[in-house]
Amino acid sequence: MVDIFLGLPSYVAKRALVAIALIIFVGTLNFAILHLAPGGPETVFLNPRITPAAKALILKQYGLDKPIQEQYFLYLAGMVTGKWGLSYFYTEPAFDVVVARIPATLLLMVPSLILTVLIGILMGILSVRRPYTFLDRFLSSFAFFFYSMPVFWLGFILLTVFAVFLHVLPAGGMTSIVATNFDFLDYLQHLILPMTTLTLINLANFSLLVRSSMIEVLDQNYIMTARGKGLSERLVFYRHALRNGLLPTVTMIGLFIGSILTGAILTETVFSWPGLGSLTYDSISRRDYPVVLALFFIFSILTIFSNLTTDIVYGLLDPRITYD
Amino acid sequence: MDYWTLGLHMTDTSSTSKSRLAKASTFWRSYSKNKGALFSLFFLIALILAAVLANYLFPGDVEAPNIAREMLPPSFSAILGTDYLGRDQLALIVFGARTSLIVAFAAGGLLAVVGTMAGLMAGYYGGKMDGLIMRCADVFLTIPVLPLILVIVALTTPNLVNVMFAIGLTGWPVMARVVRSDSLALMKREFIEIERVMGANSRRILFKHLLPNQLNSILVYASLSIPAVILTEAALEFLGLTPLSVSWGFMLNVAISYWIRGTWWMSFFPGFAIFITALAFYFVSEGLKEALNPKLKRRRESLAAQIAERKK
Repeated sequence: MVDIFLGLPSYVAKRALVAIALIIFVGTLNFAILHLAPGGPETVFLNPRITPAAKALILKQYGLDKPIQEQYFLYLAGMVTGKWGLSYFYTEPAFDVVVARIPATLLLMVPSLILTVLIGILMGILSVRRPYTFLDRFLSSFAFFFYSMPVFWLGFILLTVFAVFLHVLPAGGMTSIVATNFDFLDYLQHLILPMTTLTLINLANFSLLVRSSMIEVLDQNYIMTARGKGLSERLVFYRHALRNGLLPTVTMIGLFIGSILTGAILTETVFSWPGLGSLTYDSISRRDYPVVLALFFIFSILTIFSNLTTDIVYGLLDPRITYD
Repeated sequence: MDYWTLGLHMTDTSSTSKSRLAKASTFWRSYSKNKGALFSLFFLIALILAAVLANYLFPGDVEAPNIAREMLPPSFSAILGTDYLGRDQLALIVFGARTSLIVAFAAGGLLAVVGTMAGLMAGYYGGKMDGLIMRCADVFLTIPVLPLILVIVALTTPNLVNVMFAIGLTGWPVMARVVRSDSLALMKREFIEIERVMGANSRRILFKHLLPNQLNSILVYASLSIPAVILTEAALEFLGLTPLSVSWGFMLNVAISYWIRGTWWMSFFPGFAIFITALAFYFVSEGLKEALNPKLKRRRESLAAQIAERKK
């Protein structure tokens, strides 16, 4: 026990170092892409309609007149201090533009993530309780079915059916245009369709994982021991097997934040949800490169941190993990 | 004993053409038992044929606008309706299959080659090489891939070749992991050890033993990665990154501006094409997995029997 508590801080520190290294790597990647792009950062970063005097001033401000190795360190330092360039479209710092959109994305992602995990685990359990039966096969096919659907297409179908033909749910946005202050019921109404889309698409990740890891756990010796003691199958399943079977799912939540983010980008675009995803779509069509790069940086930071968190949570949940 | 004959005895690659034929027929018997996989294979063959023969199926310029017929719902003259420029959607979808299939096979192939090479090197050399390659793989698994591809494609010239490279070069880590763990297992086998003792060079071990012995699983994972490639490529086009007028993703990109008028066919059919193609590749890879690895099926059946036994 003592070892665990002594080891924990250094384990956390080690994981955090890896996360920081990854963030530096992403910054480097951004820098490299910027310089490898045809025309380099000058054409990518500057508004083409700018006057030569203003151009020289901005080049100086961003240090683009300095030698490349110096530029690299300046760029990384700028990443930390939030100097991510100016958006051409908003003529505001790209950092501010991006950060302002984070809450909306979280308001879509978090409820959907919770729903995905709960339904996914439930489906996995139902499958494993009666493996290789009709129900099991049906649930697996159901998950796979939505898994191979293009996110934006599923969104379109729901939108057309419920908003265009049936008129029961709002067609897009996060709140009604007439609403002046944040109304929870209004938000919920707008949430239903995008949340359903995002949840259906990601279900397979969780349900199939719970299923396979539970099958593996049920095959282990300690389960046989529990059965040998004469415990009921229900008790063996829920008391003994479920806790260990669900552990891999916890790690998966972190790993799938990336794919959920990807889904969110596309879902937001279809439902004009005012978050990071629709900003990505708009910025690409406006060729607003500073914002595109800033978005990639934010997405990476979000994934890296959720991975870090799950690593640590996993370490806390499973005493067998050694912290070195 | 002669070194080379010994080497030949130790792998399956020495099989004569007759036994190869026998193997193929066993494979086919097992594969065709899975009706979903069989049907999907026929569907994909038909799709490839249609894409190749698109010029003959739909003679004339399918991209030419015909304003008089814009946004017509499905009817006998245009089975899948017409789009915002009055073009026949069926023709556009068949031509769009070219884009999807080319990217699917090219990016999927690139991903498989890079992943296989990385996995073989990591598994064979081990140590520092293994560490380096696997840390690279971890990085690509941690960074969100679609945004990365978006950045790469948006800032370089947005064309199909760049899309293929971006998808292929970001998708290799899972493949590398699979090949690496198989290689590590193979490296412990006796026949590799004998080869090493007899002084076989690394190229011989890598390409005569490690690679041929896991071609099956490489094939399965390559086919399994194709649906993801198709969906990613469609997503890039949907986001308007590669404005090719004849691609399924871009048809959906256009449809987004018109859905409010209730033109459901403009979004339904291109999306359905993406969906059904991705699903068909999944079924084929499932079928391949079972047919190429009979142990898997036997294990599954015995496990099912065991569990049924317990229930009583």
